[in-house]
Amino acid sequence: MAETLWAGLYCPGLPLKAVWQGVQPETPVAVHDGSLRIVQADAPARRLGVRRGQRLGSALALVPELDSRPRDLRAEQRLLENMALTAYRFSHQVALAPPATVLAELGGSRRLHGGLKPLIAGLDDDFQAQGLGIRIGLAPAPAAACLLARHAIRVASLKMLRHSLAGLPVDALMLEPGVTRQLAGCGLKTIGALMKVDAGERARRFGPGLNRHLDQIHGHQPTPLAQWQPPERFARRLEMPVASDRAEALLFACQRLLKPLQTWLEVRDRALVAVRIGLCLEQGGKLDCRIGLARPARDRQRLKELIRLKFDAINLPGPVSALDLRAVTTDQHRPTQQDLLDGTRHGDQWPALIDRLGARLKPEHIVGLAPGADHRPERAWCWVRPGTTRPCSDQRPRPNWLLPAPQPCRRAGLDLEEGPERIECGWWDGNECRRDYWVARDRHGRRLWVFREYQPRSGWFIHGYFG
Amino acid sequence: MNTHAIDHLLKQRQDLWRGRGGPSGPVLATGHPGLDARLPGGGWPGGRLTELLPSHLGAGEFELLLPSLARLTREGRPVVLIAPPMVPCPQAMAQRQLDLARLIVIRSRQQRNWAAEQCLKSGLCGAVVVWQQQALNRASTQALRRLQLAAESSRGAAFLIYHPGQRPPPSIATLRLAVAPGPRIRLLRAPGRDGDERWFGPAADNVVALHG
Repeated sequence: MAETLWAGLYCPGLPLKAVWQGVQPETPVAVHDGSLRIVQADAPARRLGVRRGQRLGSALALVPELDSRPRDLRAEQRLLENMALTAYRFSHQVALAPPATVLAELGGSRRLHGGLKPLIAGLDDDFQAQGLGIRIGLAPAPAAACLLARHAIRVASLKMLRHSLAGLPVDALMLEPGVTRQLAGCGLKTIGALMKVDAGERARRFGPGLNRHLDQIHGHQPTPLAQWQPPERFARRLEMPVASDRAEALLFACQRLLKPLQTWLEVRDRALVAVRIGLCLEQGGKLDCRIGLARPARDRQRLKELIRLKFDAINLPGPVSALDLRAVTTDQHRPTQQDLLDGTRHGDQWPALIDRLGARLKPEHIVGLAPGADHRPERAWCWVRPGTTRPCSDQRPRPNWLLPAPQPCRRAGLDLEEGPERIECGWWDGNECRRDYWVARDRHGRRLWVFREYQPRSGWFIHGYFG
Repeated sequence: MNTHAIDHLLKQRQDLWRGRGGPSGPVLATGHPGLDARLPGGGWPGGRLTELLPSHLGAGEFELLLPSLARLTREGRPVVLIAPPMVPCPQAMAQRQLDLARLIVIRSRQQRNWAAEQCLKSGLCGAVVVWQQQALNRASTQALRRLQLAAESSRGAAFLIYHPGQRPPPSIATLRLAVAPGPRIRLLRAPGRDGDERWFGPAADNVVALHG
């Protein structure tokens, strides 16, 4: 069995990222907590002197143009779940370590990815693509990986781990402030110094929790972890950083949900049949739109194209403040699915064209034609989903075109050429009719399909054109 | 120098405009010998818009297209009918050997030109037939121009059927036919060729003078 090796994936800018959602702000920005203290500030703000823990008032006095927003813990949790989803592509064992770290076991999957280096590079690329800069730490124990991630230290063996940990300050242990102060009071500055203290002595002076923590970090004791699993259903909400009614802005926001969606589809091995997007309006109310796919698919680019077409066609009554995206109908993915349209050289592009059309047209406007099982000509046809028609073998004369409903006409101008064909049926469902159909020519020379009806009405009707 | 060989090579080039030498794109046999004989290139031009002006609804305009459309569907190439004014009868289509599985009908009237453009640009359709029903104004003239450009970017045939009595905008790039009941056909305009005043039938090659 491969040696276990845990990766800690730490996102330093998580609180800022969660609030600003990939928008490039023009002014220095920060996030503050409930007691109006700065939690995190971006680089320009830090250069101007904004510090973590500073009062919002002091920060604003330093940088008047600072745009600080309240911390959004739920958005942070969602972002952390996104990180876990991405990590799940590389590992079968993933756990959340809030506030800003995800743990993934890589020992079991390093061979699959051709070694540790490509695996780490792949992870890094994937997070970069999502606009999340992460620090990666490696250690044989999960608790240590979580700790080392903040310092981007990578070690593979327990011996190396012990050595690396010894050099770190005790602050890195992220203990309660009281304990940290106590340690400082004793002159214990590094973890190495702390480890030199007798274990019994440590327990007596700083409580039994510290020893357990140190054991877990050094891999002497297992760390209890809650395994993370990708959710059964994909439903995400995205608050727009700035409410907008421009299709382009909505698409940009939506795009941020498509990457996790695709990852989710991959890790759950499912395919998309439709996507439901709810546009929450700033003035209240919600606009729902559904984007269906002709064939289950996972392709993000194609979905983006369809969403663009949909958004272009939508008439928004006001700015949108949030987006809800739900993968409504997911189905087991069958890449080799065959259908009637597959005979074409472009078997796979056909559904794409139907989808493109469907993004602007109603589904009932894109149809195929099928014969109906009825003798009455007005019921002997029906619209069906494209490509799902039935063959028919009726050899009686029929016109190329049928009028949607027969139109009354006068017998006078008509030359009857062929017929009659008696159609008498419908007595079983109450739509009884008795007609004689003729092929006729009108005074312009057009060939028509006409009938003389005896029941329920009597008279002459045009039912179709041969031309 | 063998001029036949050069001619043959030139004909294979679809991006070459050859003046009065007929359409340079692929040609689709109409299935009507009389019509083939009179059309430049010997059939419906692919990659170009063909306009049909029926004198009455159902004068025979679709009858002219049916054999070629049926053949396309049998070859596995989809045919799209956009905003037809009536319902195509499935039994009649099947009798004419048209494979219903390859027939798509788009029933939206508002989006007809957009849909036609998409179908043509996709390059997947063997033929696209669009019915024009509204009165023509400036906007729809522009839409027709776009359609013409989309047709030129595609290999498939594109047909535009006008409503009886509509006056189509002037154009030089299209093949334009008038259709009267019978059906009787008159070549109003063909690229690289002047219009022909004579009416003819699709079957035999006899020219019929029609008065009135």
